[in-house]
Amino acid sequence: MSRVIVVTSGKGGVGKTTTSASISAGLALKGFKVAVIDFDVGLRNLDLIMGCERRVVYDFVNVVQGEASLNQALIRDKRIKNLYILAASQTRDKDALTQEGVEKVIEDLKADGFDFIICDSPAGIEKGAQLALYFADEAIVVTNPEVSSVRDSDRILGILQAKSKRAESGDEGIVEHLVLTRYNPSRVESGEMLSVEDVVDLLNIPLLGVIPESEQVLNASNAGEPVILDTEADAAQAYTDVVDRFLGEEKAHRFLTAEKKGLFKKLFGK
Amino acid sequence: MSKVVDLKGSILSLTVLSLFSDQIDETKQAIAAKIDQAPDFFVGVPVVLAPQVALSDPTFLALLVEYLRQRQMIPIGVRTEDEGIKEQADYAGLAVFPVEKAKKSSKQSSEVQPETEQTGLKSALMVKGSVRSGQQIVAKDRDVIVMGSVNPGAEVVADGHVHVFGKVMGKVFAGAAGETSAKIFAKQLSPELVCIAGLYQLSEDIDPAYQKGFVEVSLQDNRLVFNTGLLG
Ligand SMILES: Nc1ncnc2c1ncn2[C@@H]1O[C@H](COP(=O)(O)OP(=O)(O)O)[C@@H](O)[C@H]1O
Ligand SMILES: [Mg+2]
Repeated sequence: MSRVIVVTSGKGGVGKTTTSASISAGLALKGFKVAVIDFDVGLRNLDLIMGCERRVVYDFVNVVQGEASLNQALIRDKRIKNLYILAASQTRDKDALTQEGVEKVIEDLKADGFDFIICDSPAGIEKGAQLALYFADEAIVVTNPEVSSVRDSDRILGILQAKSKRAESGDEGIVEHLVLTRYNPSRVESGEMLSVEDVVDLLNIPLLGVIPESEQVLNASNAGEPVILDTEADAAQAYTDVVDRFLGEEKAHRFLTAEKKGLFKKLFGK
Repeated sequence: MSKVVDLKGSILSLTVLSLFSDQIDETKQAIAAKIDQAPDFFVGVPVVLAPQVALSDPTFLALLVEYLRQRQMIPIGVRTEDEGIKEQADYAGLAVFPVEKAKKSSKQSSEVQPETEQTGLKSALMVKGSVRSGQQIVAKDRDVIVMGSVNPGAEVVADGHVHVFGKVMGKVFAGAAGETSAKIFAKQLSPELVCIAGLYQLSEDIDPAYQKGFVEVSLQDNRLVFNTGLLG
C-alpha cells in the first residue's frame, strides 16, 4: 500500500523542502520506493536541494497538463536507489495544477508501486497548499519555534481536518505528525524562542522529531545534497531519527538542550 | 451639530464605525474625540467601516485607514454596496462586507470547522478536539462544549454557555444573541477576548490572577465578573 504524505506548514521558509528532501532520501535508504513531488510551482526548489536541477527536462506541470508522461518526468536520484523526484515548473504559474491532474499523477505513482509519495507543499493556506494536501493520508507539519510559525501550523491543521479528501469523504482523518525544525536550544533557554513543550502543548499532535538549527543544512543544500546524507551533522542524525520514528521505531528525542561550552570554547569564543 | 460618527460593538467584536460625513478632517476630529473618552478601549480593536454617505473624495478611505492605524485601531473592512466605495476599499487594502447580516460569514467559515457532533436534541454542541486558528464554531440557540482548547486566532460563539475543557487562548462569545445569564467556563483562560451578551473584555484588561486556573465568567451589572473559586 502506498502512503501519500504532505509536508506542509502554512508559513514559508520554515524548512518544508529541506524536510521533504531528507525524509524522502531517508526512506529510500531504508529500501522503500519513494517519489517526492515539488508542488511549489513557479519557485522550483526541491530539485536544487536534491542536486538534480540540471537534469529536469519535463516537470510536474507537464505531466498534469498531459505534455509528458510520468516516466519521462520522474528524475531518478543519482545517489540513492529507488528515489525519484518530480520537479516543479519554474515558468508556469500555479493555476497550471488541477485537482484531477494531480489525482491522476498520484494514482499512477501508486500503480507504479511507490511505497511513499511525498508532497512538498508551497507556503500559504490557499489553493496551492490545499492541492498539495488534498490527497494525503498523512501530514508532516513543519514548524519553527516561533509564534507566527506555530500559529500558521495550527491553521493548516484546521484545513487538513476540513479540506482534504479524507475529511470530505468522511474516512478516517489524515494522520498528523509534527517536525519542529531550526531549533536552537540556547535561544530557547534565553527565552527568545518557544520551547518544544510550548509548541507541542499548543498544536497537540504527536512530535516526530526536533531538528536543530545547523549550518550543515545550508552547506548541504548548496552542495545539492539532502542534509540527511551528511551523517556527521546533528541535523542529519535528527532527520534519521525522524525517519525511524515515522516507520514506527521508538527513539528518545535528541538535540533539545544547549551544548555546554568547554573551557576551550569559553577562552577562544564561539 | 449633526452626528458625525457613531460606534457600535457587534457580537463578533468587530466594531462598526458608521460614517456620516464625507469630510476627512471632520471625521478624524470626531474619532479623536471618541478615543479621548476611552483611550485603551480602542487599541488593537478591529473595525469595519460603514459609510452612510457617498464618499466623493477618492482618497477618503485611504486617509481614514491611515489615521485609524496611527491611533492603533485595526481597520479591516468596509460594509457597503456602493461600487465607488468598493473600489476605494480595494485600493486601501480593505475587505468588503455585504450589507446584509452576519449569518453569511459564519456559513462560509463553517467549511473549516473541526469535527462536531450534531444530535437530534437541542443539547450542547460538542467539539471533540481543539478549535484551531482560523476556525469559527457557532452554536445557535444552545451551549457549546469544547473538549480541547480554543487556540489563538480561533473563535467560539454560542447563544448559550461556553464550556472549554482546555485552555482558552482565542476568542469566546457566550450569550451571543443577547442572553445576559450566559456564562463562560474554562479550565484556563488567557483569551484574546471574552464576551458575554455583547460586553467584552480584552486579555490585557483581565487580571492575570484570573488567567491561571479554572474560571467562570459571568455578566453582573453590566460588568464581566471572573470567579476562580468555583471548584474550591
Ligand atoms: N535545520 C536548519 N538549520 C538551518 N537552516 C535551515 C534548517 N532548515 C532549513 N533551513 C534553511 O531555511 C531556509 C528555508 O528552508 P526550506 O526548506 O526551503 O523552507 P520551505 O520549503 O518551508 O520554504 C533555507 O535557506 C534552508 O537552508
Ligand atoms: Mg519549499
